[in-house]
Amino acid sequence: MTDGEIRELCNRFFDAYEGRRVDELAEIYAPDCVIWHNVFGRETTGAENLAALPKSYTGQRRRSYDDRTVRTFEGGFVIQYTLHGVQHDGHRGALWICIVGLCRDGKITRIDEYMDSGKFAAWAGRPTGEWRQR
Amino acid sequence: MRKDSETLALCDRFFDAIEQKDYATLERCYAPEAVVWHSHDCLYQPRDANLAMLKDGMSRLKKMRYRNRLIHVFEGGFVQQHTLFVTHPNDFVGQMDVCFVAYTRDGMISRAYEYFDTGQVEKFLGPRS
Repeated sequence: MTDGEIRELCNRFFDAYEGRRVDELAEIYAPDCVIWHNVFGRETTGAENLAALPKSYTGQRRRSYDDRTVRTFEGGFVIQYTLHGVQHDGHRGALWICIVGLCRDGKITRIDEYMDSGKFAAWAGRPTGEWRQR
Repeated sequence: MRKDSETLALCDRFFDAIEQKDYATLERCYAPEAVVWHSHDCLYQPRDANLAMLKDGMSRLKKMRYRNRLIHVFEGGFVQQHTLFVTHPNDFVGQMDVCFVAYTRDGMISRAYEYFDTGQVEKFLGPRS
């Protein structure tokens, strides 16, 4: 895949995620796609991710994947972005996330996602703790 | 034109210097204007403050090891995924999964972004006493 094709695939992926188009995401994931989250420390399959999406989408009124900074490399991309969400009570929150994606034949084969679960409360509009200083 | 091998060498030199507590080499990896952004406070830390923080860690911690390094070089920088293992003075070994995105110029890091999960702080710093 060329740099341009990888970049286009990356943006198509995030546009589909934002637009809640699960069918399109199913086309973007390779059959052997694996997704790893730093917060959970484990891998899930693309199919498991897709199955969880409809319920996940009910959590917020709206989500947008903004401030996307995409860099491509041989066989993949790294994207830094801000996830903005509007909760059902109107609370607006943000998460700052980095994803490293691997691609093959126009599809995503692996996603490694890094986010900060310490910001989940602020994202959801719940009381927050603080990063422990030592 | 990409200079992948030079960028890879810079990446290795940077993390190896921290592991080996080689402050002089570490300092040379940063461009004069270098800033480092962290996902826990979403702030850009100036070069001097970041170096002071690293120097403190290098002197206070028994060991810092960057394991399972996965590196990809892109035009103007690199991304490294790793697990940082630190051995604290009380011998507790903490660990944290980190994604480090660096933008480079002239063989130095000019801007970097570090993503990690503060929700797993106990795993990194040890149980609260």
